[in-house]
Amino acid sequence: MGRTKKRLVSAVGLLVALLFAFPIYWMVATALKPANQLLSDDYDLVPLGLTFQHFVDGIGKEGFLSSLENSVIVALAAVAFALIAGLLAAVPLARLRFRGRKGFLLLVLVAQMAPFEALLIPMFLMIRSFDLLHALPGLILVYFAAALPFTAWTLRGFVKGIPVDLEEAAMVDGCGRWAAFRRVTLPLLGPGLVATSVFSFVTAWNEFLYALTFLQNGNVTLPVWLSSFVSVFGTDWGGAMAASTVFTLPVLVFFLFVQRNLVSGVTAGAVKG
Amino acid sequence: MSVTTKAAVPAGTTPPAPRSTVSDGGSGIGRFVRRLFSQRTLPYLLLLPATATILVMLGWPVLSVFLTSFQKLDLGELVSGKVVWNGLDNFRNILTDDVFWADTLRTVLFTAACVVCTVGGGLLVALLMKHMHGWVRVVLQLALVLAWAMPILAATTVFQWMFDQNYGILNKTLVELGFTGYHHYSWFQTGLSTMTVIVILITWQGIPFVAFTLYAGVLGVPADLYEAAGLDGASSWQTFRAVTWTALRPLVNVVIFLSLLWDFKVFTQVWAIRMGGPDGGSQTLPVLQYLKGIATSHFGAAAAVSVIMILCLVVLTAQNLRLMLRTEEVD
Repeated sequence: MGRTKKRLVSAVGLLVALLFAFPIYWMVATALKPANQLLSDDYDLVPLGLTFQHFVDGIGKEGFLSSLENSVIVALAAVAFALIAGLLAAVPLARLRFRGRKGFLLLVLVAQMAPFEALLIPMFLMIRSFDLLHALPGLILVYFAAALPFTAWTLRGFVKGIPVDLEEAAMVDGCGRWAAFRRVTLPLLGPGLVATSVFSFVTAWNEFLYALTFLQNGNVTLPVWLSSFVSVFGTDWGGAMAASTVFTLPVLVFFLFVQRNLVSGVTAGAVKG
Repeated sequence: MSVTTKAAVPAGTTPPAPRSTVSDGGSGIGRFVRRLFSQRTLPYLLLLPATATILVMLGWPVLSVFLTSFQKLDLGELVSGKVVWNGLDNFRNILTDDVFWADTLRTVLFTAACVVCTVGGGLLVALLMKHMHGWVRVVLQLALVLAWAMPILAATTVFQWMFDQNYGILNKTLVELGFTGYHHYSWFQTGLSTMTVIVILITWQGIPFVAFTLYAGVLGVPADLYEAAGLDGASSWQTFRAVTWTALRPLVNVVIFLSLLWDFKVFTQVWAIRMGGPDGGSQTLPVLQYLKGIATSHFGAAAAVSVIMILCLVVLTAQNLRLMLRTEEVD
């Protein structure tokens, strides 16, 4: 490959990078701009002054903190449940031979592709019959069910990736099966557990349709609150961008944290066995 | 032989000897617990929570959505709890409704546009990534991760701000570039223009995953294949066709199917941008389902829309499943 060609491709690459980074830059830049610069006809790609007033206003707006709290509770609870049930299922599916193993595998695989968006009506009716509408547990239940198949399938992949010889060696050395699992397999599973929970967390953190349907009267999660913010507060873009920034931060931290596993995390669950 | 194969043993080559528990006394509960956790029942016990959850929270809704689609279930029936079967009425009503067909057509075109843009763009970015300077690649990957990490609703809000009629940076930039017609131009005036903005948003959100996945595939192509192609005097286009594309093909299929499944079901961005407006001009099937069911309490009719969506998705998923099972067989 010629030098000029490489230079050209690199230039295009920088342009693409700019295209993808710009909305994030614009979000933060707008959030930091003084209010009088926001609704002006001037062309200003770089903020001319800095203020944290939008963050103070945005966070102080009614409903922000409570919806942030709701989002955190719902996402964490769903991830915790999915992790426990998923790990319990992953171990026998990866390690043990028993009757019906193929059937369980197929169930998890098929469940992973359940079209949640198209199950809104029956879910609504079911959660309503449990009397869990307008409360967090109903939403947690749905997110847990949505995250579980992916979690079980991915963790099964991670468990399979750990050589069974390691566990056997521990058992030869006098560990029971449980001790061998706890002392050998579980620590090695650490990265897998982290990656899987991050993906489930982000899914729950992002979810909008069910949150919009199940929760009401200001007791909502952040995505729903944010969507109403735009229509209710109209042109307070500084506040909207500040709130969006706060909404983005945890996910960003998580993503940079599991960066290496990003692709394998998604594809391991989706494609590979 | 037949007995031991049924029992749960580790998948490894040498099953370890069962741990004999000599020291344990035989209290009734202890024996019961031990039997419960015996090698034979242990796998089922471990699988119980996951299986129960999947069957109740996924299996039942799937069954229920079909049952509901054959019922008249409005607010009255919901409150009284009466089950009123109405046969195929819901489907008859839906299939003779012009709005349904307009929404279906819109959903299909929208999905196609999203998939073509996402996979095409992602493939291009992945191929470019291979040929750029190392530091540019790092910058690009960082930008892609940032875009990927942005929560759907945060990105949607920022796009609304960028496409804002009066103070949006896009209109300002276009005016600055000499396209003065875009001064205070409204991007959300027509359905088509609104849909275009949504497609751009979804493409922007979807490309990072596709690009990273395909880039991993590009890296996986053995270098000696390129050497061989070079020795045979292949042009760079021929090399791409014969080596890179052949190697990437299965992966491209996978990302196409995943994107199809994701984009067909999109609700969040469509709803958050204009709630299907203006005048239903950006209304897709998931929005129709929400409007019919949750917003106006015609649960039976909405379930019929869901069933039609599910049937479409099953056709797509069956293809995807076949792909996945083929990779699974290698196991």
